[in-house]
Amino acid sequence: MDIRKILSEATSTLGVSGQEACVAEYFAGQFRPYVDEVTVDSMFNVIAHKKGQGPKIMLCAHLDEIALMVNRIEDDGSVRFSSVGGVDPRILPGSRVWVHGRNGKLFGTIGAMPPHLMSAEDRANNYKMDKLHIDLGLPADKVRQQVRVGDLVTFNTPFTELANGQVAAKSLDDRACVAIMLRAAERLQRMSCEADVYFVCSAQEEVGGRGAQTAAFAVAPDLAVVLDVDFALTPGCGPDVANPLDAMVVTHGPYVQPKVAKRLVDCAKAHHVKLSQNVAGRYTGTDADEIGVSRAGVPTVVFSLPEKYMHTSVETISLDTLEEGARLLAHFISELDAGWEDELWI
Amino acid sequence: MDLKTLTEINAPSGHEQPIRRALLEELKAKGHQPYIDRMGNVIVVKEGVGPAPRKRVMVAAHMDEVGLIVTGHAEGGFLKVTQAGGIDPRVLISKRVLVGDDNIPGVIGAVAIHLQSAADRARVMGYRDINVDIGAADKAEAERKAPLGTYISFDTPYVEFGEGYACGKAFDDRVGCWTILRLLEEELPCDLIAAFVSEEEVGCRGASGAAFAQEPDIGIVLEGTTCNDLGDVPEAVQVCKTGEGVAVSFMDNSSIVNRELFRKTLNVAEQAGIAHQVKGSVSGGNDAGSIQRARQGIPTIVLSVPCRYIHSPSSVIKLSDADAQFELTKALMAAL
Amino acid sequence: MFDLLKKVLSPVGPSGLETPVADVIREEIKDCVDTVEVDALGNLIATKLGKGENPRKVMLSAHMDHIGYIVTGIEKEGFLRVTNVGGIGMVNSYNRHVVFPNGVHGVVVAQPVSGQPALKDLFVDIGAQDKDDAKRMVQLGDVCVYANDCFRLGENRVAAPAMDDRCACALLVKLLQTVGETQDTIIAVFSVQEEVGCRGAKVASFAKEPDIGIALDVTGWGDTPGVTLPEIKLGEGIAVKVMDRGSISNPALREALIEAGEQAGVKTQREVLPYGGTDASAMQTSRGGIPVCTISIPCRYVHSACEVIDMRDMDAGLKLLQTYFN
Repeated sequence: MDIRKILSEATSTLGVSGQEACVAEYFAGQFRPYVDEVTVDSMFNVIAHKKGQGPKIMLCAHLDEIALMVNRIEDDGSVRFSSVGGVDPRILPGSRVWVHGRNGKLFGTIGAMPPHLMSAEDRANNYKMDKLHIDLGLPADKVRQQVRVGDLVTFNTPFTELANGQVAAKSLDDRACVAIMLRAAERLQRMSCEADVYFVCSAQEEVGGRGAQTAAFAVAPDLAVVLDVDFALTPGCGPDVANPLDAMVVTHGPYVQPKVAKRLVDCAKAHHVKLSQNVAGRYTGTDADEIGVSRAGVPTVVFSLPEKYMHTSVETISLDTLEEGARLLAHFISELDAGWEDELWI
Repeated sequence: MDLKTLTEINAPSGHEQPIRRALLEELKAKGHQPYIDRMGNVIVVKEGVGPAPRKRVMVAAHMDEVGLIVTGHAEGGFLKVTQAGGIDPRVLISKRVLVGDDNIPGVIGAVAIHLQSAADRARVMGYRDINVDIGAADKAEAERKAPLGTYISFDTPYVEFGEGYACGKAFDDRVGCWTILRLLEEELPCDLIAAFVSEEEVGCRGASGAAFAQEPDIGIVLEGTTCNDLGDVPEAVQVCKTGEGVAVSFMDNSSIVNRELFRKTLNVAEQAGIAHQVKGSVSGGNDAGSIQRARQGIPTIVLSVPCRYIHSPSSVIKLSDADAQFELTKALMAAL
Repeated sequence: MFDLLKKVLSPVGPSGLETPVADVIREEIKDCVDTVEVDALGNLIATKLGKGENPRKVMLSAHMDHIGYIVTGIEKEGFLRVTNVGGIGMVNSYNRHVVFPNGVHGVVVAQPVSGQPALKDLFVDIGAQDKDDAKRMVQLGDVCVYANDCFRLGENRVAAPAMDDRCACALLVKLLQTVGETQDTIIAVFSVQEEVGCRGAKVASFAKEPDIGIALDVTGWGDTPGVTLPEIKLGEGIAVKVMDRGSISNPALREALIEAGEQAGVKTQREVLPYGGTDASAMQTSRGGIPVCTISIPCRYVHSACEVIDMRDMDAGLKLLQTYFN
């Protein structure tokens, strides 16, 4: 498995929240060699099932990406937009984008009023999304032939390798964690495994954990591990909210099951995987929030890959950390036995 | 088990083990068969004495309480914390706490008033400013004694005072747990699903799992609720009053109460002469929201004990209101 | 359609107290569906069985509830203190005629404050002499709504307070009355408590396990002075939702509905709403998840006492749905 190739392909495949068909098809194909059955459900969740007789465990990482959506075409041919998921308008001026029109994708760049024409006061404020526009280099009638209200707009940023095994791309949140699941699935082929394993690539996480909610209902797992990205240390993003780039993170707090979290920590110790820890006093802000209360309840933990510059088009991760995450996840699944539930709550 | 014992157990949301253990022991001693479900709820199903088919009534009270959780360690050995459940940080300054399962004593201090500027004095201290001090010599000792994720509770013993009042922590919602324990002593016509649920204070999570699993016909949520009957609060905006009986809700942020059940409850209370009041506010939310919307929908009502200074280290209830909660729940179950 | 709309607009039915609306609708539909039931939360659910082999179950949801004011306190002078049930905008609130389900009338007033009044500054004057007099008319927990005042505006438009979402209820009633035999089974849910979080649709979709969910609701407008988004115009056709805050429509279902509109020869508009949500949000995440879309009736001044729609858009919506099911 060439992880760079997978990340490069995955992050350049269209899969905006609610309309994930293409990226779902891509990941379904990637999982197929390592599991017994792969389905894409009506929400565009990918559910990859590796059959076993033991406890039913659901791994979950989301495959959707944040993006923009056309909401108006001006008479001068410029295209106005709103966001799908949490897009910071500050990253947009000067960004290159793809506008997915009715006959394929169009190259565009995001323009804004030049600073020269703004007052000193206005220059001190950030651009607001409704003041920006996409320039397609086309007159309005040509734009209207190809672009409609509701069409998707995605970032046009190529996958980039930095020094020391760090890579940057859009939508590594959370496709890098899908890659962790893929790598773990590959490793499990060579390991003993009692558990009944469901790898779920969930849809619509960026708009509220909707895919994970329905996938968890359908799978009805005994326990779940949610993989998502978390903040890595960068200037302005300090240790009170972030963790080093070089180690996976396990979360503590009311939304995670403490004994299952401890099991993950113990497993990391046993296999010498470096692990950071963080605390969420309430919501974890991941699919775990929905999965945990599915049906009669699902003991759930959150296992995170640190990422720099989250929700930009240059999200950056460490491939070494990704590999270590996959190694730990594979061991965790492999060592899961019927006794996992003993004294879970006392 | 009395109310004092129940409230003095430390179990913030997400760390209900201590109260769960205590309830299991108590319930087994009383001859019940409790079990723990996938959300960590403690459930007892007691069959009714009425003729079949009997209504299955889930009576739920949450066993968690608001508390703090360790999020980091500062140089000098201080603990950085955030809330597990909603605590206004303004009530934390100058309080004593108990840290972790070993109940390590700690304090939350503040910069001496002499050293504060006028601007400092006006500023609200938030969780970023608050340190829990357990007397650790350095950061390493603090990390060893209270690792990341350690839960912290208020250190406030239960005291009875004045004319029939009690002061303590965690009345929200150990008072409801106490009422359920008392109900389990009774013979009731309908089936009682006694649910001591987890994680109400962080989003009513335990109750949703319990309701999904148990599929009751009716839900009765027993709560402690906001009360602001002292000080300069105009009467029309008071939520409820201590000493005026159990508070019956018509709506809050989590649910609109089933209107038929609401009327029936008021009628039952009037006929039986049980002290009661209508809760005059829609603020807050509780497990009724989770139970009402479980599966295909469940008619649900909320019966609350008015609780002054709720979510603080030192709350106050009137014990007669707790008795009224018990009496009304019992009478309502006989009338369903 | 206008007479039916007027009939469905008239009952008082705030969130949580929708029975009077259900009673009116039941009378209209009972002879053209196979079953009618009311569930534990008060949803009125009508099922019209499909004639196809293994028919798909399509849930159509239009909510019966209406935003209102709930009584939380009674002053000794007899004035009622209230708070909102559903999304009440302050500027829409002052000096409005309201009515309680028992027929008591009132006026919502804001007391003078420095700056903008807030909900806590509102009171309702029901003409009571004092607290005891007020309690003879109204109890804590009673809810009032903007009094019905339905009138035509120009040739094609109609204004009324409860247009959100009774116009969609009327559309759904009309569809059941006119659609005739269908391949699909139609589960028509006249839902409760949409305005407080789509609670009725959540439990109804769990109970009925539909294969597809379509919400019928109103949407915003962008064709009056100072308002440009969403790009929706009254009279320019029925809107088919691409997304809002609560749900993203299934792309295939969305396109199928737009195509049905084309086949029916009616105008449609594609809707991207930067706020709001409909019963589609609750249906979409029910059980294992279902494809959903929302058919939206463009509506100006939503959540005010004068919500305005265009009857031509209603007709377009009806023809689109008739075509989709035939």
